[in-house]
Amino acid sequence: MNGLSRQLNVIDYSLSSLWRRRFKSVSVMVVFAAVIFLLASFQMTTKALTQTASRLLVMAPEITIQKMRAGRQEPIPVAYREKLAGIFGIRRITPRVWGYYFNETHAANLTVIGVDPRLMPLGEKLAAAIDTGRLPGDHEVVLGQGAEELLGENRMISLFRPDLSLKPLTVVGRFRPATDLLTYDTLFLPPDDARDLFSLPPELATDLCVTVANPSEVDTIAKKIAALLPGTRVLTRSQIEKTYHAVFGWRSGFASVCLLTALTSFIIFAWDKASGLTPEERREIGILKIVGWQTADVILLRFWEGVIVALLSFVAGYTLAYIHVAFFDAGLFRPIMLGWSVLHPRLRLSPGVEVGDVLLVLCLTVVPYLAATVVPAWRAAIIRADSALN
Amino acid sequence: MTALIELSNVDKTYNQGQVNEVRALKGINLEIAAGSMVCLQGSSGSGKSTLLAIIGCVFPPTSGRAAIAGKQLSRLPDRFLTLHRRASIGFIFQRFNLLPELTVQDNITLPLMPLGVGPRERRERAARLMERLGIGHRAGFPARQISGGELQRVAIARALINDPPIILADEPTAHLDHALSLAFMEIMGELHRDGKTIILTSHDQLITGHPAVERLIGLNDGMLHVP
Ligand SMILES: Nc1ncnc2c1ncn2[C@@H]1O[C@H](COP(=O)(O)OP(=O)(O)OP(=O)(O)O)[C@@H](O)[C@H]1O
Ligand SMILES: [Mg+2]
Repeated sequence: MNGLSRQLNVIDYSLSSLWRRRFKSVSVMVVFAAVIFLLASFQMTTKALTQTASRLLVMAPEITIQKMRAGRQEPIPVAYREKLAGIFGIRRITPRVWGYYFNETHAANLTVIGVDPRLMPLGEKLAAAIDTGRLPGDHEVVLGQGAEELLGENRMISLFRPDLSLKPLTVVGRFRPATDLLTYDTLFLPPDDARDLFSLPPELATDLCVTVANPSEVDTIAKKIAALLPGTRVLTRSQIEKTYHAVFGWRSGFASVCLLTALTSFIIFAWDKASGLTPEERREIGILKIVGWQTADVILLRFWEGVIVALLSFVAGYTLAYIHVAFFDAGLFRPIMLGWSVLHPRLRLSPGVEVGDVLLVLCLTVVPYLAATVVPAWRAAIIRADSALN
Repeated sequence: MTALIELSNVDKTYNQGQVNEVRALKGINLEIAAGSMVCLQGSSGSGKSTLLAIIGCVFPPTSGRAAIAGKQLSRLPDRFLTLHRRASIGFIFQRFNLLPELTVQDNITLPLMPLGVGPRERRERAARLMERLGIGHRAGFPARQISGGELQRVAIARALINDPPIILADEPTAHLDHALSLAFMEIMGELHRDGKTIILTSHDQLITGHPAVERLIGLNDGMLHVP
């Protein structure tokens, strides 16, 4: 007896029986593919976002000093730099001027960042983030993609100061889409122009960025700064990272609970479908048994039906998820993953498909589905041959 | 002639030890020679179907010894009964037991699937039988679309597809009109002439009195009696 051709015959029969019950099969596949689609999109989005975010966090300053009053941040005197001159291990202190600019025409917030690129801790990385053009000089600006779309691709733009007078700026560059998570809605310009735009006096800045000579001393130095400057908040990059991860983790945790609920209910639904035998199905199995099919053959038949349904759904769901993330930038998950800002950063997500990720989704979906369909098949398969006698 | 089927002291009890226990067969002793054509006769509930199921290796007797085609099958587990059944037995059922959505050809070749017979050979074997039984033009039709007489031939073809030495038919004509019943017995007679052992159950005069039937076996309340 040839085991392989028996196997092929059973697959042959599974295919024809799925085809005979095509409406039922297709409806199961549509639901299953949708579950896989959600799970895989979610996984690809999370992965792409985490990767982008950790790439970008590298560019955050090692220590940020903010001045606080009544629990709110307020401009910090640039002169605070001198107070810190005594701390050993600080390489440089750079004042930053930044804030939000409300664009009334589009009812959207833009982020204005004023830093002297030559004093930036990672000035060369910033230069590398510029897609076209160069770093801004006086009265010049570099735009993120979203900001450019809002303001138009003009060489000259004009922004309103708080007193509604106009401040003209020359656009000299654009940030690369890959850094969009941070730069999408950003206007990047010299600190004095930012002060001018926000009407901030020259002796004040929004915060101070501290570059440290030896990264292992960051925490010690942060403590010393906090001791020397009462009334300030001293943030380290790892603290920012932790906060970010906590928020992001909460969001993705929430989403995965929702997804697992969907998955579980699908598995229960599949179990239900597989274990509830219609009289026709009972009859069919009785007939198969009496014409010589073994219990194992019937289970195999159910198994192959499950495999075919699961794999087709998996391929369809995963492919759709890839298209969703890569070409539609995970439009369905955006609100959950990024939060609602007025101007959604339209990230270019580039989902890298790795074997491990595919296997994970496969294990989370196909394996429970097969278990849910094949285990009840035992019950069906032990229908006795003599049930076909009467 | 050697006995192809030998039953001695065969008992069959359904639902043993439960309140709904039924002693369907009691101490059956029976020998059926190879190549003979016999008919089991008896009133409803006398145990005809049960006896046929034991001969057909559907289940083993509760006690006693049963040897079918040289194999002792008392107390054989289900798996081995099935192996033996598909090698030696062709079953034709009262209601044909065909799958209505499957084509005629697929119904006929159903027993060949677990044997690992490839698609080409399945097609060829089915084609030969369908030709012989005059249903070749219906090969691709779903079973639900063909007439009663054709269904009957499909059921016969399925029973013959693996060329078994023993053909069993449980009340094969109960749902057929006179002409179709005659046609059925015609085919059985032919198979008998080909050397098959044929066992029928019926209370239809047309079968019990048919000239091809060599021997009548009477059953009454689970016991044999001479009619
Ligand atoms: N699966 C079963 N479980 C319990 N009792 C059964 C079962 N099958 C048959 N019986 C009982 O066993 C006895 C013999 O049944 P069997 O079907 O062999 O009779 P039969 O001669 O074929 O009757 P009929 O002419 O009505 O088909 C009957 O009393 C029947 O009720
Ligand atoms: Mg009966």
